[in-house]
Amino acid sequence: MSKFWLLATQLYKQKIRSKSFIFSTLLYVAIVSGIMFWSDIKAAIFSEEPLKIAMVNDTKQDFKEVFQSDDDVKFSFPTEDQATIEKQIKAEKLDAAVFLTEKDGRLNAEIVTYTPLEFNDQTKLSSMIQYAGKIYAVQQLHLTTEQAAQIIESQTPIHMKNLDMQKQDGKSEDEKAAGIGASILVGSIVYSIVISFLSIITTDVASEKGSRVLEVLLASVKPSTHFLAKITGTYLLAFSQVALLLVVQILLLLTVDDGSKWKKVAGVIENLSVSYVVYTLAYLILSIFLFLIVGALFGSLVSKVEEAGQTMMPVMFMGIAGFYVLMSGLYSPDTLLVKIFSFIPFTTVMVMPLRIGATDLSPTEPLIALIILIATVVVLFYVSLSFYKRSVLTYSSGGIIQKIKTVLKVTT
Amino acid sequence: MTLVIDQVTKRYQDFTAVDQLSFTIKKGEIFGLIGQNGAGKTTTFRMILDLQETTEGDITWNEQPMNKVNRDILGYLPEERGIFPTMAVEEQLYFFGILRGWTKKDLKKEVDYWIKRFDLEDKRKAKAETLSKGNQQKVQLIASFIHQPEFLILDEPFSGLDPVNRQLLMNAILFLKEKGTTILFSSHQMDNVEELCDHLCVLKKGASLFTGSLLDLKEQYGKIKLSIRSELEESQLNALPGVKRVKKTKDGYTLLLENELYGEQLFQILGKGKYMEKFSMDYLSLDEIFKDLVGGEHV
Repeated sequence: MSKFWLLATQLYKQKIRSKSFIFSTLLYVAIVSGIMFWSDIKAAIFSEEPLKIAMVNDTKQDFKEVFQSDDDVKFSFPTEDQATIEKQIKAEKLDAAVFLTEKDGRLNAEIVTYTPLEFNDQTKLSSMIQYAGKIYAVQQLHLTTEQAAQIIESQTPIHMKNLDMQKQDGKSEDEKAAGIGASILVGSIVYSIVISFLSIITTDVASEKGSRVLEVLLASVKPSTHFLAKITGTYLLAFSQVALLLVVQILLLLTVDDGSKWKKVAGVIENLSVSYVVYTLAYLILSIFLFLIVGALFGSLVSKVEEAGQTMMPVMFMGIAGFYVLMSGLYSPDTLLVKIFSFIPFTTVMVMPLRIGATDLSPTEPLIALIILIATVVVLFYVSLSFYKRSVLTYSSGGIIQKIKTVLKVTT
Repeated sequence: MTLVIDQVTKRYQDFTAVDQLSFTIKKGEIFGLIGQNGAGKTTTFRMILDLQETTEGDITWNEQPMNKVNRDILGYLPEERGIFPTMAVEEQLYFFGILRGWTKKDLKKEVDYWIKRFDLEDKRKAKAETLSKGNQQKVQLIASFIHQPEFLILDEPFSGLDPVNRQLLMNAILFLKEKGTTILFSSHQMDNVEELCDHLCVLKKGASLFTGSLLDLKEQYGKIKLSIRSELEESQLNALPGVKRVKKTKDGYTLLLENELYGEQLFQILGKGKYMEKFSMDYLSLDEIFKDLVGGEHV
């Protein structure tokens, strides 16, 4: 085994066997699975009885078509008087009752409860009542069923036509939605990788430097080999964690509820363009590399592992900033802020996929961002390597600027 | 010639760490580099190991520049101990052996031998950070030569060791010398240097004050340390010819002479032809020579 692979696998084996890594990976997988399958988990753990709501209709209109029972709500249509119904509510035989009456030609509703309804349930019930109200209002006009349906169901179809020939290949709403969904996923993965693996590589280099084992290693291997081995080992570690996460999610998607969720995900993937997938993967691979280069460099600057956290704060902030810009761009992916951050190498991976997926941008923009990212990785790699060679054996106190000054002072 | 350091200088922006240093180490020799803290020992080691570049001068191993030398022939024990804190002792030794080009199978014999010799059998699976300082140092030392290097550099190998472990390490170093390893080491403890070294170099502020054999160094000073038991007062002894300094000891006096030629004359004056309980002319100890060279007092 070459020295490079020995060092890379040593880091990999040591970290992958560590309790903290195993625990954090399991926690990560559990949290992501929990979010993905929240509705199934909720149904399995909190197997709630459906809400029992009595619809007391004092109008001549029949609303049974509107208020249809489902898994969450069971509607009944009693004919008892209000006092009897309220007694049943107090006795918790019913969760709520809706008294529908007519007032000034409009439908009027009163919701009676003993325990206030949950926000979600109340919203759902309110929108159903609003819908019933519309039907009631239309019915007062004495229209035919078809005419009424035409008014209520009417939706204006909107077609986009752009006169710029280059921009004619616009995205459909489905494609844009898929682009936003996938961008959230990529953004979240990068964010968690930035936070956890930046910390892993920085503290690993810092602890080797602090325990002086680095001097022994560098007597045997070139600093460039050590530097690359650290990045590769951490990269493999990150890759393993992401792969595990994806495998678990895919297995869960395929098995839970007979794969009904997998069909939804497959639908999203089908709506993603080839260029989106290629660019996003390229950004992802390069960006992890970029953050790990900086992490290794910062690890080499500190004198002991305790200082590592403080040193990597600026890079962490870059990751956090990218994530926030992504979140702000989910609702308006065309703002100037999103455009600017999509070209900053440290945030391209989080922001540019959103622009590619959710907006009709010119094909040169993602390419320019990619070129900027590649150029930054190459330049930063060589600058970091040259600095790494000099900083790994220099011990100094003070802040990061002071440390850089000391390295330059004692090595030039 | 094996290692040749030729007119090597390491200069930083505002100070010179090593100044025009030259010495050679022959194959199978133990060479001591001594000097106070900050004298430039570690910088010299780092330049030999190609961890730092020289500003001027050349360092060669068998006439090959150090940066062209196969790193696997080198072994290095840094001054501040460098082992993986969370790695088990045995795993650590295998790791450093494999890093220097050995296979696990070939290493087994070596690992077993040294673990037994250094009495670490019950610590095989223990993490390095759980060991005592002495045991950590043993592991560290084994790790530096587990691959049987041709050239071994030991920076302060004895610091912080109890006398028993110090002797254990000393014997190991002599054992390696017998097997043909060339060893360069630094130490503050001059008795270790005196016991182990064939040749040495005394550094002060980066410059060499003396380079050569230990015997040459001692002969350069001569036998100028006179130990006597006498009824004379300190002031009377001070007035004797050729006496530079007098120091009262538990067991009489130690006189520092201008040179050893005064010995005979003083023997006549102090003994007056009669029996003397103690009259001994000696070389200075390396410790005393060192203090004299770097500006301290001796005797």
